[in-house]
Amino acid sequence: MTFINKIISAFGQYSGRNAFCIEDTFYTYGDLLSISASIISKIENTCPGEQRIGIVVTDCIETYASIIALLLSGRTYIPIHPHHPADRTQQIIDQAELKVILAKGTDVQFSSVQNIDSTYTPSTTGPASYNLSQYPINLQQNAYILFTSGSTGIPKGVPITYNNLNSFVDAFFALGYNINENARFLQMFDLTFDLSVMSYLIPLCVGGCVYTISFKGMKFTNVYSVLEDHNITFALMVPSILANLRQYFQEIDLPELKYSLFCGEALNADITNEWRRCIPNAAIENVYGPTEATIFCLTYPVPADDSVSTYNGIISIGKEMQGMEAIVVNSDLQQLPDGEKGELCLYGPQLTSGYLDEQKSREAFFELNGKKYYKTGDIAYRNEQGDFMYSGRVDSQVKIQGYRVELSEIEFHLRQVAEPANAVAITINNKNGLAEIHAVIEGTTNITETLLNKLEQKVPAYMIPTEVHYIATFPLNTNGKTDRKELAKIFQQS
Amino acid sequence: MDEQQILQQVNTIFSRVLKQPNLSLTPASTANDVTGWTSLTHMILIDDIEVHFKVKFKLNEIMKFSNVGEMIACIHKKLNK
Repeated sequence: MTFINKIISAFGQYSGRNAFCIEDTFYTYGDLLSISASIISKIENTCPGEQRIGIVVTDCIETYASIIALLLSGRTYIPIHPHHPADRTQQIIDQAELKVILAKGTDVQFSSVQNIDSTYTPSTTGPASYNLSQYPINLQQNAYILFTSGSTGIPKGVPITYNNLNSFVDAFFALGYNINENARFLQMFDLTFDLSVMSYLIPLCVGGCVYTISFKGMKFTNVYSVLEDHNITFALMVPSILANLRQYFQEIDLPELKYSLFCGEALNADITNEWRRCIPNAAIENVYGPTEATIFCLTYPVPADDSVSTYNGIISIGKEMQGMEAIVVNSDLQQLPDGEKGELCLYGPQLTSGYLDEQKSREAFFELNGKKYYKTGDIAYRNEQGDFMYSGRVDSQVKIQGYRVELSEIEFHLRQVAEPANAVAITINNKNGLAEIHAVIEGTTNITETLLNKLEQKVPAYMIPTEVHYIATFPLNTNGKTDRKELAKIFQQS
Repeated sequence: MDEQQILQQVNTIFSRVLKQPNLSLTPASTANDVTGWTSLTHMILIDDIEVHFKVKFKLNEIMKFSNVGEMIACIHKKLNK
């Protein structure tokens, strides 16, 4: 059964049960179906032939109903973040060749496309006899396209097909989680981030309820409020949430939580052990996967005893999920034996067929033994238990609160302002142990205000440096290149 | 110490942590209005405020801080216990 069939089945079986809780308002499966049907009707009435459609993603039922409407009708959705800079959004519109964008209300309008207001009023309900099965789904069609940080200053489009997503859903259920229509799932992610897809899609496949996080206020306090107030049973989070909550662990007791999953960043063993005391009845899992391999594709159930596999205090990313294959290769793309460190590469049905930009695909994919592998850029090795151990990056990609950031993308924009002075972006851990981006300029002329203004027009808020430092001359490593580690040491202490 | 005095001292802490010497907070200020007040800096602000006023917030108190005024009222209450 495809995930689409599962959702259609849930609509039929659980019409009166809650599907979403958004800002403390509940929406049933019946409500979700009506709103989705109204959106499909609007599309069919205005642009029936349009396959790829953008959605301005906000924390409202129309946003989720728009996603469901596009998926049920076999279309492709491209999430557009309302607070990202206009330049970046336009690059996404251009790359995805969008002609139509759905948004709730008329506040956000794009001049280059047809804008459709997704606002739902009961009078716009779709036909009562709406036939959900009227759309044959082409599994090779893209279900969504997400854009990640690109090293050349232009976001990178990752298309994920219905087949990729279906493979993820099948592999997810094969993990054997005990979830059903009584499940209450946390959805804490921006919808431009693919961990959101698991957080809304899996509960809708079983008739469970999705609890979203308010965009207002601080994310980690909002996450905790929802976990506690709604007795969440299944929560996928980024480890940064734990770092923020850590000093309050003694006040936290979440006995209803059954599954606590982490993804998006390295998971430290010490904080995870402390977290376990807050969630006495939950299993903890560390899951891993790049957007290119559809949400996540490796899992590590973290044992409650001291047998947990770690490397430098970081918990293992585990073994492949059903259908996926992971290998480690050297710089000549030759497979390495277990125990040797190299670049982690992935193959299998969850893997995208390539980026929208074919040149980028040529750099990131390679063939070995007749299989097309994706080079993750993550350095790893496989231990004696067959679990993969993460040990760093081959490039300058970092994770900021789970968001994937290419430091070279930030540097591209920094240099546009700083030239002829040299400029780099580094990460520094703040006193709460959270990674921050700092910019370092070679020279003494203060250009901080101009730099930050420029960046605000080009990159999302999570990519803007927390601090800008100046240094007369950059330290160099033995290869004569800027020594970023040394710069991080210098400014970590300052 | 009254709430106005607390606001002035909180303003000084925010200015230093967020590196904005000209920052002028009001009781109605929220994270949406103050550049740099993000999840990353929030805990640093909370820590520095706790040290400065020699108070300790509970998680349930922090969760209710929807603006600067609520934070100041909480500090005021703790200082006058």
